Amino acid sequence: MRDIVLTCARWCDLITTLVCAAALAVLVGTVLAVVLLRFGFDMGFIKLQNLAGYAFAVLLILSLPYCLARGGHVRVDVLSERLPPAYLRRADLVALVCFLVPVFGLMIWAFLPDLRYSWAIREGAIETGGLGGVYLVKSTVALSGALMIVQGVAALLRPEPDGPAEPS
Amino acid sequence: MTLPEVFLIVLGLGLAAGIISGIPAMLAIAGVPFVVAVLGSLVGAFDLSFLKFFPARVYGIMSNPLLMAVPLFVLMGVMLEKSRVSERMLQVLGQMLGGSARGMAVSVLLFSAIIAASTGIVGATVVMLVLMSLPAMLQAGVPKPLAAGLICAGGTLGQIIPPSILLVLLGDQIGNTYLEAQQRAGNFAPDAVSVGDLFAGALLPGLMLVALYAAYAFTVLTVAGRAIPKAAPAARPSLAVVLNSFAPPLLMILAVLGSILAGVATTTEAAGLGAVGALMLAGYHRPGAGRWLVGLGALAVLALLMLRLFTDGRAGPVMTALAVAMVALLLLGLAVSVVKLWSGGVLSAASDETLRITGMVFGIVIAASMLALVFRGFGGEETVAHLMENMPGGEWGALLIVLGMVFLLGFLLEAIEIIYIVVPLLGPPLLGGDISPVWFGVLLAMNLQTSFLTPPFGFALFYFRSVAPRGITTRDTYVGVAPFVVLQLVGLAMLMAFPKLATWLPGVLF
Repeated sequence: MRDIVLTCARWCDLITTLVCAAALAVLVGTVLAVVLLRFGFDMGFIKLQNLAGYAFAVLLILSLPYCLARGGHVRVDVLSERLPPAYLRRADLVALVCFLVPVFGLMIWAFLPDLRYSWAIREGAIETGGLGGVYLVKSTVALSGALMIVQGVAALLRPEPDGPAEPS
Repeated sequence: MTLPEVFLIVLGLGLAAGIISGIPAMLAIAGVPFVVAVLGSLVGAFDLSFLKFFPARVYGIMSNPLLMAVPLFVLMGVMLEKSRVSERMLQVLGQMLGGSARGMAVSVLLFSAIIAASTGIVGATVVMLVLMSLPAMLQAGVPKPLAAGLICAGGTLGQIIPPSILLVLLGDQIGNTYLEAQQRAGNFAPDAVSVGDLFAGALLPGLMLVALYAAYAFTVLTVAGRAIPKAAPAARPSLAVVLNSFAPPLLMILAVLGSILAGVATTTEAAGLGAVGALMLAGYHRPGAGRWLVGLGALAVLALLMLRLFTDGRAGPVMTALAVAMVALLLLGLAVSVVKLWSGGVLSAASDETLRITGMVFGIVIAASMLALVFRGFGGEETVAHLMENMPGGEWGALLIVLGMVFLLGFLLEAIEIIYIVVPLLGPPLLGGDISPVWFGVLLAMNLQTSFLTPPFGFALFYFRSVAPRGITTRDTYVGVAPFVVLQLVGLAMLMAFPKLATWLPGVLF
């Protein structure tokens, strides 16, 4: 059971990593293109602006599970650095059950009506002549919520005697 | 005391406990309010339908164009660090200033003032400074606490040294509130307050803080001078070394900053250029073929910026041809850099670091939006406004209370949240009077900056903690930051005593 969850989390993380890296590349590339077109040729395209915005949105929301899978979220260790590692393990369990699962569960659940509507009308950008596909971007909110829960569970199942990984 | 007020107190205490408990801060900041809200709903003190807005608010953050600059600036900093460009730059700067711990500390401070000006985002700046300057400072013999304090304080300078995103938001909010409050007070033609006013107003106070920090660091290191192992007697670096290590990154930062200040590029565009510039710098400094191509490409970007600045976009056929040539050169240089960095593994390392830091920064921003939601759901805004009305002391009393409240809120909420809650709610009684709105705005900004620096909840400290090596304990950080908090308070007091510090420059400029 544990192995199944951990394998699943690894696959999820692989996909998260690929999407995040792609979003970052697209963000940099698009912003560069926008600047070059405007400075060099006095041209601007709303679709390009939209693309940069989408790339940023996807990057932002999926970077959360990316960060969680690597134990990168900030901790205040004033107290816990003096307590045994088992304490932090237990605190993380409480945080998972009481905080992570409900909050990100809420992020999925409360967004479903919006999402369903967005898919139904195949929502696009607000601007006229903008890029379509906002419904796909919005879907990443729910996706990220699910990924957060998967990575949160995996972090606790992972056999690590020193407790969860610390940012180096 | 009403029931919601009790829950607000529980919320505050629970939050403090949650953050201190050692779980990821973002989970505490989002989770504790959630649990308190559910508890409150059990006794009818909270309407759970409030929580339904959470995902929509998250999506609001995702589609906020102001925030787009964050990952780009992070990438720029990470790239400069991974390519060791900034390390070399700081070393040379330290050598020029005598190769001592003192020289290094002062150069880091100057460096952070420049970096702060170019990013304007606490998280990004602190992270960038840790990556770039912490190893160099420790190597030069700056004690750990002082190094930590300098970085945290230097990082928060981004709030007050223009162009800062915080000042943009503040300008927007104060502008609106001031106009309304003045009209309600019977002045139907008040002078409008612009973001430009705030930029100009914040410049002198910001520089004053830099001077205070520098004086402090210099004094401490001079007093402790004997205890610090003397660095190898510094050979003054040759001009070629200085130019080679300095000119490219400085030119890049100036181009980024200049294009914002001159108004030719938005912050996001400038940040994107900065990220690309850093990529090319890193590519240039990697050994291997094609260096000159990268260099040429980088020069092409600058030329393009210049072209834009001087021709003001009036393109003729010659200009267009020139622009095509430059863009081609740029893309060629960029491609060469990317290939070199990819094969060296630098690109994937930099992307990994950028994604982590982005996740960490936005984890806190998203969590703070949950907190703000619950705070509002319990009627926190009204409670606070009500408390304000019953305070004695006239205008000054009200001002001090607002500042104190913002200071406390700075522990819990993001700057953006605070600005959007506090200014419209608590601002009107103050801005309806004779208080200068620019002065008030700069005071708020400096106050928020102090709050971000104050242990144990200051945001700058979280960010610092997240990237600092394990060798620097939380204790080191707190001890190091404490004197800077005092300096901040001195700065605040001076600004209060001499409002001219903030109001003089805008008066001259505009």
